[in-house]
Amino acid sequence: MAILQVNNLKKIYTTRFGGNQVQALTNVNFSVEEGEYVAIMGESGSGKTTLLNILASLDKPTGGQVLLNHKNIAEIKEKEISAFRRKNLGFVFQDFNLLDTFSLQDNIFLPLVLSGKSFDEMNTRLQPIARKLEIGDILNKFPYEVSGGQKQRAAAARALITHPKLVLADEPTGSLDSKSSGHLLRIFSDINTDGQTIVMVTHSTKAASHAKRVMFIKDGEVFHQLYKGTMTNEQMFQKISDTLSVLTTGGEVSE
Amino acid sequence: MSKGFFPKLALINIKKNKQSYLPYIISCICTVMMFYIMHSISRNKGLFEMYGGDYIVSILNMGAIIIAIFSIIFLFYTNSFLMKRRKKELGLYNILGLEKKHIGKMMLYETAIIAFASIAIGLLGGMLLYKFIFMLLLKIISFQIPLTFSVPASSVAFTILLFGAIFTLSLLFNLGQVHLANPVELLKGSNQGEKEPRVKWPLVLIGVVSLGAGYAIALFIESPLEALSSFFVAVICVMIGTYALFTAGSIALLKMLKKNKKYYYKINHFTSVSGMIYRMKQNAVGLSNICILCTAILIMLSTTISFYAGQENVLRTRYPQDIIIRYNNANDENIAKINELIDTFKENEEVSVSNAISYRHSTLLTSRDADSFATYEDTENSIYTSISESFLLTLIPLNDFNQMKGTSLTLDDGEVYIYSSKNIYEGSTITINGHAFNVKEASLSSDSDDTMSKTFAQGSYNIIVKDINILNQAAASAGFSYFIGFDVEGNQDTVIHLTDTLKSQLSENVPEAYLESLESERQSFLSLYGGLLFLGIFLGILFMLATTLIIYYKQVSEGYEDKERFEIMQKVGMSKNEVKKSIKSQIVMIFTLPLATAIIHIAFAFKIITKILAVLNLSDVPLFVICTIITIAVFSLIYGIVYSLTAKTYYKIVQ
Repeated sequence: MAILQVNNLKKIYTTRFGGNQVQALTNVNFSVEEGEYVAIMGESGSGKTTLLNILASLDKPTGGQVLLNHKNIAEIKEKEISAFRRKNLGFVFQDFNLLDTFSLQDNIFLPLVLSGKSFDEMNTRLQPIARKLEIGDILNKFPYEVSGGQKQRAAAARALITHPKLVLADEPTGSLDSKSSGHLLRIFSDINTDGQTIVMVTHSTKAASHAKRVMFIKDGEVFHQLYKGTMTNEQMFQKISDTLSVLTTGGEVSE
Repeated sequence: MSKGFFPKLALINIKKNKQSYLPYIISCICTVMMFYIMHSISRNKGLFEMYGGDYIVSILNMGAIIIAIFSIIFLFYTNSFLMKRRKKELGLYNILGLEKKHIGKMMLYETAIIAFASIAIGLLGGMLLYKFIFMLLLKIISFQIPLTFSVPASSVAFTILLFGAIFTLSLLFNLGQVHLANPVELLKGSNQGEKEPRVKWPLVLIGVVSLGAGYAIALFIESPLEALSSFFVAVICVMIGTYALFTAGSIALLKMLKKNKKYYYKINHFTSVSGMIYRMKQNAVGLSNICILCTAILIMLSTTISFYAGQENVLRTRYPQDIIIRYNNANDENIAKINELIDTFKENEEVSVSNAISYRHSTLLTSRDADSFATYEDTENSIYTSISESFLLTLIPLNDFNQMKGTSLTLDDGEVYIYSSKNIYEGSTITINGHAFNVKEASLSSDSDDTMSKTFAQGSYNIIVKDINILNQAAASAGFSYFIGFDVEGNQDTVIHLTDTLKSQLSENVPEAYLESLESERQSFLSLYGGLLFLGIFLGILFMLATTLIIYYKQVSEGYEDKERFEIMQKVGMSKNEVKKSIKSQIVMIFTLPLATAIIHIAFAFKIITKILAVLNLSDVPLFVICTIITIAVFSLIYGIVYSLTAKTYYKIVQ
């Protein structure tokens, strides 16, 4: 069953005085099945971030549809959109976006508090996630006291604690060193194995090689897709690199 | 580098930072203007020639000194705030290749430009507004002296000197800051202070104790004279308490709320409690400054307005009759002379005299031991050391008393009547300076409203003795005094003229006698209370300006910090409305906290202030209540307007 369905998505940015029009997304079509792990790759300016923002309901499309769980995101009322986002989506950002006034635990609790959950319930939800993400012993620390990798794992915990239908990750390894990146990606694979659907936008070939499927975006369109199938991470890495070099040189791609 | 480079760079910097520099320059201009006006009015020669003008001049001088001190603190505080904001920019210059020497040069030009602009515009504005403000002052004190446009050179020089020094000082401070810091620190400058504050329990304790002590003093002082001396102690206590509780107490409270999981993990409380902890950490000192300023403005304005509005009342308490002549260490020969002069005065056709009273008396400040009263040997010290245990005795010969009251009381040798306004004398005998008397009757003076009783010292025992000889014995070395009082009606100018004649005749014939006339005192009262009111309004405006600026800077600096925070919250799933609500509740809390605290301070101070006002002859408590309430209402309104204006800037930054 497709959890996310994107049909003929179009996004045109108009500069403030209506002068120039920039077409960020021309015509994007794809779907994500429940339990999938999809990486979206593309160069700077290819429209990845625009796509993610629309999926996250942070931005509105100019044309086309985004169906999350068969519900059109664009039709949700402004009042309900925050609650919708809270219930159905979890976010992991490149720059963590943790609030420095909260301890890690309170940062993780934030979406649940906004949904009006009790402290006991939040605590029971937190325990297994904290164990899995290996942040159990630093929950009472503040963001400025922990490393980047720990921050990103806390941010991941914040995304997972609402049991979202879909986790959206925007360059999650972008600010991490290679060791922390590896750790985070392993965790992403683990939670995907447990059934969590993940859509990740990334530049990093290494990050993308962990995904089950990689989509390439170029000039506002889905240009190509790769399925991992039974490949190892290393084989997938090689395949992605080859595709990327073809993409940048502009040659024909053969599958 | 070319010659005009640094001045140009400085000018561009000021323009680029106008959101924070413009308010700073405007407040510099205003303080310069206010100082100049205050100083130059106090130099106006016309004031010296008026009756009571010296009151005004000394009040204005005091005002100028207060403004000067306040300007130093206030402008320095603002400058350090600006510097904090600009550290990042200066760090960037440093990294891009400007040496510290060059940055210093650039800052020198910046300060020079700001100083020149502020002082020049301030002086100019001051000169223009001078006439208007002066007219306002004259109106308040109902003086009529010709308005002259003058620019006292000494005022200009003083203003330039004072503010030149302030600007130099802040430049030196800024240079020190730049010199001490390395570029990385400068870059981080405005991002410091992310750590969650700890609760400083000792400070909380100090705050609670000193605030409690201040309030207790204000509430439990009964004696008006003690009130006067303890008021200052209470003010210091409350100030310490305010600072300590705003800095440490608020954080202790918020942390306690945070520990309460049920309370803390609610949508409304979650973000505001944690947000407030950081806000209080950064703003506590600023907020307590605002709180103390507000309290000062409110007390100053409400008392000066009360005095101004109630001056007729005060005048009547102080001068029960239109003309009063007091003659101490009297002798019969001179009393006859005085009576003669008064009789001539009464014969004037243009005025009519009424309610005339005259009596001989002796007023003694005594210490009491059971039924025995003794005059202090060393008056100088005793007044200040034991004023609360002292008793005022007024001795009056029976004859004078009967004459005035129209009564025909009789006394045997060694007998006295005792009248008192507050407490009935409880003993059956009384000993005054070693002379013992039997008390024939002791009672409260039933008719305390009559003219005579009003002229007696309040709260004392009035003792009627058999005759002047006994009075002289009992009074010992103090001797006796003569008192004449009467009301005069007629054309005001004639009354003043005739009174002046009487006064000069009196000082020729009996130089020891002293005449006070309500009509001529009225003008000096007016100039005293009018001057105080003028000062109150003037300083009120200045403090208001300071409050506004502090609030404005608070909002702006917080706006930049909160911007990021609220963006994140929106991404995590907080709706725009929830974000707005959360911002609003925090800002409103931060904003009302100082004003609310100020009003609480005033409520506690109310009793002690009325006592002090009573010492200064203003006993009209309802008038003071009304004046206080109106002042608070008007002030809150202005405060609210300032809030909504600055809040707009804040929202603009956050969104």
